[in-house]
Amino acid sequence: MTDTAAREMPLEPENELQDDVAVVDDHGSDIAGHDDHEGHHSSLGLSNMKLAMWLFLGSECLLFGALISTYLLSKARFLTELVALNPRVLDGLRDGGMPEELIQEFIAEGSVEPIFDIPFTSGSSFILLMSSLTMVFAHKAVSEGNYRNSRVWLAATALLGSTFMAGQVYEFTIFFREGLTYGGSLFGSGFFTLTGFHGAHVTGGIIMLLSLLVLSFRGKLQSNRAETVELVGLYWHFVDIVWVLIFTIVYLIP
Amino acid sequence: MADTATETPHGADSQHGHDDHGDHPTEKQYWVVFVILAVFTAVEVAWSYLGLEGMQLVVPLIIMMVIKFFLVAGAFMHLYFDLKVLNGRLFTWAFFGGILLAMGVYAVVFSTFRWQI
Repeated sequence: MTDTAAREMPLEPENELQDDVAVVDDHGSDIAGHDDHEGHHSSLGLSNMKLAMWLFLGSECLLFGALISTYLLSKARFLTELVALNPRVLDGLRDGGMPEELIQEFIAEGSVEPIFDIPFTSGSSFILLMSSLTMVFAHKAVSEGNYRNSRVWLAATALLGSTFMAGQVYEFTIFFREGLTYGGSLFGSGFFTLTGFHGAHVTGGIIMLLSLLVLSFRGKLQSNRAETVELVGLYWHFVDIVWVLIFTIVYLIP
Repeated sequence: MADTATETPHGADSQHGHDDHGDHPTEKQYWVVFVILAVFTAVEVAWSYLGLEGMQLVVPLIIMMVIKFFLVAGAFMHLYFDLKVLNGRLFTWAFFGGILLAMGVYAVVFSTFRWQI
């Protein structure tokens, strides 16, 4: 191909497939010469948007650190109240922990009831982990210019996130019926604040995913804006990471 | 309407002249990470049902939790791959700086509480 011919070649496809076609390299960067690409780069050679998102997530660690700490403190306070109510716990704690048989005894007499449904919450955790996988596939598909697949993966991620939230609402309803309320005890306050904030973050993530889906259907989410999907993905994975911590600290460690 | 893409064989970012993404994992690697995460979750749940107490219960659960944390951050959030990029460590420091700060602050908070039993 001569230089003249090359100059005459349109850089962007100008046909009815325009919305679904992109010319990209194998890292997903649009080589068509768009001016509206995102991720303006700093003098460090890094995307400012991406760096800002990482700093935001770093600050979110402080928020969730505060919530997890508050939960643990409220749980400790709850245990001291339990001791005050039933001095027999004291012997167990002095021996290095709460003996399993003592817990079972309390459960039998109704002074302590197991309220967490671990198999159900494990299913929710698996669903959220699965959504992280679909999220990386959505980003990969947008980067590669495969817009149809990107819509499928974005929709799947939003659906899995919504399923997780539905599970959390169901769980909260059960707890409420069992008597665990927000204002009923310090434990309830700590638990609902922590898991509620996480749920609010998941809901925010679902809204972002649906917004991306709308942008994609309008043809405004092409490979030159793959970084937008990556930023939402970072947020989504962070929400997943926080749940990894909550699942172990709140649900699995008695 | 068919979705198509024309890819160049070159890995370099021709628009920016540089690349802050590193080499991302392949689809197969993502699946492997997911399976590992799912297995760790299953082991965590099984461990919690073994009837263990104290450190025997808590320490393995915390270790598995930390492994899952680093797997998601490293593979899905691309931190491991961003380390290979010029100045890519800034992403890691921005994130883990927040975590270390949070751990330090709340360790101090915990040390101020004393529950009388």
